Amino acid sequence: MQWSSKKKPPLSSDSFHCSVWAVLTWSVVKSEDYALPSYVDRRDYPLPDVAHVKQLSASQKALKEKEKADWSSLSRDEKVQLYRIQFNESFAEMNRSTNEWKTVVGLAMFFIGFTALVLIWEKHYVYGPIPHTFDHDWVAMQTKRLLDMKANPIQGFSAKWDYDKNEWKK
Amino acid sequence: AYPSQLGLQDASSPIMEELMNFHDHTLMIVFLISSLVLYIITLMLTTKLTHTSTMDAQEVETIWTILPAVILILIALPSLRILYMMDEINNPALTVKTMGHQWYWSYEYTDYEDLCFDSYMVPTSDLKPGELRLLEVDNRVVLPMELPIRMLISSEDVLHSWAVPSLGLKTDAIPGRLNQATISSNRPGLFYGQCSEICGSNHSFMPIVLEMVPLKNFEDWSLSMI
Repeated sequence: MQWSSKKKPPLSSDSFHCSVWAVLTWSVVKSEDYALPSYVDRRDYPLPDVAHVKQLSASQKALKEKEKADWSSLSRDEKVQLYRIQFNESFAEMNRSTNEWKTVVGLAMFFIGFTALVLIWEKHYVYGPIPHTFDHDWVAMQTKRLLDMKANPIQGFSAKWDYDKNEWKK
Repeated sequence: AYPSQLGLQDASSPIMEELMNFHDHTLMIVFLISSLVLYIITLMLTTKLTHTSTMDAQEVETIWTILPAVILILIALPSLRILYMMDEINNPALTVKTMGHQWYWSYEYTDYEDLCFDSYMVPTSDLKPGELRLLEVDNRVVLPMELPIRMLISSEDVLHSWAVPSLGLKTDAIPGRLNQATISSNRPGLFYGQCSEICGSNHSFMPIVLEMVPLKNFEDWSLSMI
């Protein structure tokens, strides 16, 4: 068996291809995007696997060369530019709060209000009258009867009635 | 029952007092556990801390295995105590039988004479002023107070359940089976209950009303009913 003399595929710093080496031959198989190292803005993964900007423009390439020299020679804007090549959002930006809660609370209250309208319509158009035992007079007679029979006299109903003064206890 | 009632009715028998205290004890445990869990959930939802590696925590795992077992024992022991208390031999002075029907109860006092009657709910349109809707019956179960009474409960057709909450009673009425409960009331008065096992369309409309009276009144009543 002879080793194949095909060239090895180039390994560049800004693209990394997973290679599948067939037995005794060099060959490259394309990998899906999700299987490759990717950039993420995550609070709990501070140093992503790749830089944010993959293809550098000419000025960015020049800046990267300047980065190889003494960093004190970089201006503030240049440092920020280098940061933005490496990272998409800063920690402050990625952790920013949103106004989503206002939408959620607003929609919830809206639907609760809508349900209230439905219930009002239902009470008016669907339900019949309530039993006569809910009339004020009937409830008064009922209450008097419950007190006369001393219903729940220990801690409940009749316990709150003052039998001497004939009134509710204060 | 009374308007705006939140908790259990006042106890009219010693067993019900025990059940009320047990309920307080168990409910307190339940509230403690629920509030602890709710607090932990809010902690989980309001932290920015993360920890993504595998964790090992033998000590706390041991604690939160042993502690629930202990809590369960603390609930089980009073519960079993009351269960056995309900089964004590108490020498009843009277035996009354109740049969569930669709949809009324019938009562039989056959210790001395044959006294049997049916107890139907009073329809809302026939209520006397001040009576309670869906709770009043035409013939109440009159019983002597402060005496242990044996109730034998069964059914003539489908499952029912004979329940009087303020006396701590709820016993299923099962066709072909005799269940026994013991009533003993601390005080006179009317005690209401409702059928507690689904039995058809009028399941909600077959209440139970016990009228606990002094023994003399009970004797007069039973004479008048024969």
